Amino acid sequence: MGPRWKWKGAEAKALAEPISVSISELQLSLAKTESSGTLSSCNVLLVVEPEQAELLDRCCFGRLILSVEKVKKWIQLSFEEAFFLFYSLKCIKISLQGRCLENEVDTWMYMKSKRPNFPMFYKAYSHLRSKNWVLRSGLQYGVDFVAYRHHPSLVHSDYSVFVQSGDSDRLRVWSDIHCPVRLSGSVAKTLLTLYVNGNFKGEDLNLPLCLENFTVEEQTISRWSPQLSREDETTNSKPNVTTVSNFKTL
Amino acid sequence: MVPRWKWKGAEAKALAEPVSETVSELQSSFARTEASGFLSTCNVLLLVEVEQAELLDRCCFGRPVVNSEKDKRWVQLSFEEAFFLFCKLNCIKISVHGRSLEDELDLWRSMRSFKPNFAILYKAYSHLRSKNWIVRSGLQYGVDFVVYRHHPSLVHSEYAVLVHSIGENDRLKPWSDVHCSVRLTGSVAKTLLVLYVNGQVNKENMNLPLCLEDYTVEELTIRRWNPELSREDESRT
Repeated sequence: MGPRWKWKGAEAKALAEPISVSISELQLSLAKTESSGTLSSCNVLLVVEPEQAELLDRCCFGRLILSVEKVKKWIQLSFEEAFFLFYSLKCIKISLQGRCLENEVDTWMYMKSKRPNFPMFYKAYSHLRSKNWVLRSGLQYGVDFVAYRHHPSLVHSDYSVFVQSGDSDRLRVWSDIHCPVRLSGSVAKTLLTLYVNGNFKGEDLNLPLCLENFTVEEQTISRWSPQLSREDETTNSKPNVTTVSNFKTL
Repeated sequence: MVPRWKWKGAEAKALAEPVSETVSELQSSFARTEASGFLSTCNVLLLVEVEQAELLDRCCFGRPVVNSEKDKRWVQLSFEEAFFLFCKLNCIKISVHGRSLEDELDLWRSMRSFKPNFAILYKAYSHLRSKNWIVRSGLQYGVDFVVYRHHPSLVHSEYAVLVHSIGENDRLKPWSDVHCSVRLTGSVAKTLLVLYVNGQVNKENMNLPLCLEDYTVEELTIRRWNPELSREDESRT
């Protein structure tokens, strides 16, 4: 399935401004002002200058919060986004209850204590982000993340991402798999399952370093259409069946 | 959500032939002529007379299996359907490897060994069937069962059923999983019905069908709330 650009010229714009370049700009800008995010039990709040807020939006990190502040902007980041900016891109600091957390272990352990599946989700998040995919919450689509090739204003998301680990109970029975496959198909996305393999119960789970020992296996699950998969010299290049056009022609 | 009848006159036909009556006819027919089912690791194959096959179809038990037999019919039943016919309706006999299973205990144990979550699914199945809902596999819709008010040829199914065992598994734990099922269910014009089956799943008497009497079933429908439709507005028609 090719990328579905949202308007004529969107693809050219995307090629002219690669995500990797925007991310570098973001790193430089945030590092200059030493921005600090405030950690809470479910997210991280970051105060930034207006042009930093714009850069964060261009790279799709966080959501803008409405506030009465005239000069600065408030951004709400998920744990994954915040930890990525802090640990991977090293461009923000994190503080908890007024105290700056120098040690990445402290932040890691705090986030892990609030959300037991954080290590697994973070591995999946950073795995895709490192490949310059733009990731957002998949809550709306009944999955964990949705992955965009570039900014959501330019392109529709290609993949709906499901994060699994070895001992997870999700997607165990076939009907559980069919549910997100069908739903993803109805919103023109391909279901991508990321199997994060690693020792989730060991001691060193307390260190972000454990991330290096995790592996991620990618698997897409899509419906197989007999008509489109037939070897037939007389078929046209365009499929006749309208119901499967969602999967192929976009 | 009101029932969606499939054609004009379908509702009248359904009212004229309640499911409960058809089930009684089914029971009488099987009482007259014994039918025997053969248990395998994933289903039960039942050999029946032609009119029994028709009654089974009218009550939506099983699926016909295409074969070359002229006088008899083969019907494939799921474990839940077979156990219901055997234990609740006392219609059929079941045999495995040529040996007839007299005892419902044997059958229960065999089915549980082949399908670990059989007890929970069966409790949900019989709970709905006892209320005269037609229950079919929900695999196509990413759920456990779909229920119909009457025969699927007359009405569209109203509910997509997910069976949840309290304290056991992680299904529907993250909100995105719930939303996935709700969205898909909505897109096929059904309401999501979650059945929370509460029972002592690890106790000794888990081996007896009697344990079913100790289980409770809590029904919960999950729908999307639409602010526009829920507004109290006197000027709205």
